[in-house]
Amino acid sequence: MVASHTGTQDVLMEIRNVDKAFGGVKAVDDVSMDLRAGIITTLVGPNGAGKTTLFNVITGELAKDSGSIKWLGNPINRIKPYQAARAGILRTFQDLRLFSEMSVEDNILTAVENNSLPLPVGRAQRTARLERVEYALDRTGLSSKRKIRAKDLAYAERKFLSMARVMATEARLWLLDEPASGLDPNSYEKFLEILREEVKQGVTVCIIEHNLDIVIGISDRIAFLDRGKLLADDEPQKVLNDPALRAIYFGERT
Amino acid sequence: MEAYLLNLFILISIYSILGVTLNFIMGYAGIYSLAHAVFFGVGAYAGSFMAMHFNASIFVTLPVAMVAGGLLSLILALPALRVRGEYFVAASLGLQVLAVTIFSEWKGVTGGIGGLIGIPPLDIAGFEIFKPSQFIFVTVVALVIILFIINRLVHSSFGRSLRAIRDSESAAAAFGKNVPLIKTISVVISSALTAVAGVLYASYLSFINVESFMLDTSVLIMAMVIIGGTGTQAGPIVGAALLLILPSLISYLDFLPQTEIGSIQQIIYGLGMALLMIYRPGGIVGRKKHSETGKE
Repeated sequence: MVASHTGTQDVLMEIRNVDKAFGGVKAVDDVSMDLRAGIITTLVGPNGAGKTTLFNVITGELAKDSGSIKWLGNPINRIKPYQAARAGILRTFQDLRLFSEMSVEDNILTAVENNSLPLPVGRAQRTARLERVEYALDRTGLSSKRKIRAKDLAYAERKFLSMARVMATEARLWLLDEPASGLDPNSYEKFLEILREEVKQGVTVCIIEHNLDIVIGISDRIAFLDRGKLLADDEPQKVLNDPALRAIYFGERT
Repeated sequence: MEAYLLNLFILISIYSILGVTLNFIMGYAGIYSLAHAVFFGVGAYAGSFMAMHFNASIFVTLPVAMVAGGLLSLILALPALRVRGEYFVAASLGLQVLAVTIFSEWKGVTGGIGGLIGIPPLDIAGFEIFKPSQFIFVTVVALVIILFIINRLVHSSFGRSLRAIRDSESAAAAFGKNVPLIKTISVVISSALTAVAGVLYASYLSFINVESFMLDTSVLIMAMVIIGGTGTQAGPIVGAALLLILPSLISYLDFLPQTEIGSIQQIIYGLGMALLMIYRPGGIVGRKKHSETGKE
């Protein structure tokens, strides 16, 4: 991807001095970073670096201890997960959390429905939703599996369903927690292609990823976390070529 | 014999309403309530109170009973739905115990332990339903209407939200579902519809007391749902029919010692339920243990 355009985009999300501790352990330690529109920011770092915790804090699944987060210029410090979703911030889970007893298409359809009250929706809205579902089914190649229950899918298909639920929505920011882990090379090529296409169409992505090939293949920007601290947030080449970061990443702590 | 069967079918259709409404929250939202008999009782007492003191028209008794059931369920729903699964079961058990005490003590409305006698028959636009042969028609129509309402809900976006919450609460929230609100609405709808069964029951028997609305009834309704098939449309009705017909069938078996019939029933129930859960955990109507779908 083109690295030169990073830094010039609008800032969608502004994270400032965010802390989150579990007992005495600082899972997120004074992290400040910006998520810029229309690019892929990759969060890398060893296990336990605080990457998923940062996602949980952003979406309101966990309350942060201090710091502030702004979304499109507005503070979202006390947001609840369902409000984050409605504001256009969606996330996937490392353990997928599919709606396992529901069919593939119902998994995707319910992801685009966010009305709480049991009232009928208009025909136009319903048609628009079904079109989004078809789009996501088509893009992820799950069209032929639409009636199958999520729990009866193969592993790679489950990963793609997790992506399809997000793709069908009109969210502006996707927080993807290891979406490609465990995929065979063919599947992850397909996954990368989907992701690049969506970003081209205007989606902003922040992705947690361990596989270096994928990190190099998709990142416009890399944020490096270790033990809760943000050690770098820069262009991919700079981060990946930093000897100190490489040492941490490959386990040669000094 | 005909009167006996008619009575049995009326009770089956009333208990089917109870099963169907419990299944709505249990099977689709994953909310396991041991307080279902409370809302059955609230409907019965509220409907009877209106019928005895004001007006016996179902256009008065039904709405009042439904509102009473729905409002009371908020007391359970608002605090308890913020906790997860097994804690809700405990909270509902608490409400059940509390309600039995109120049902037996609040003499002005419930008649205390002795209950209420002389409850007027159903009055549908001036037409009073006395005969069981007419009453069965009313209960079946009520069951069909309630089935229709729940069927519509289950297949709407609201129903999908419920099932999503059942399967993964955190993922449902991550996709914009206001989980506590949706759960609360589902409990209120279920309880309001349950109250309808209470009104029918009270006006059918013309006599009610607290014994019909105790923990055993809540457990019986839950057993009907589980045995018939949780999360299926027909399951609760099959379960209600089975658990109400079985005792009569057993008592017709001549070779069983009549004095021991009660214990034999319990043994058959216990064994049947254990075996069913081992070999067919989805219930009689539910899916088999190993799903056939998804294998190519």
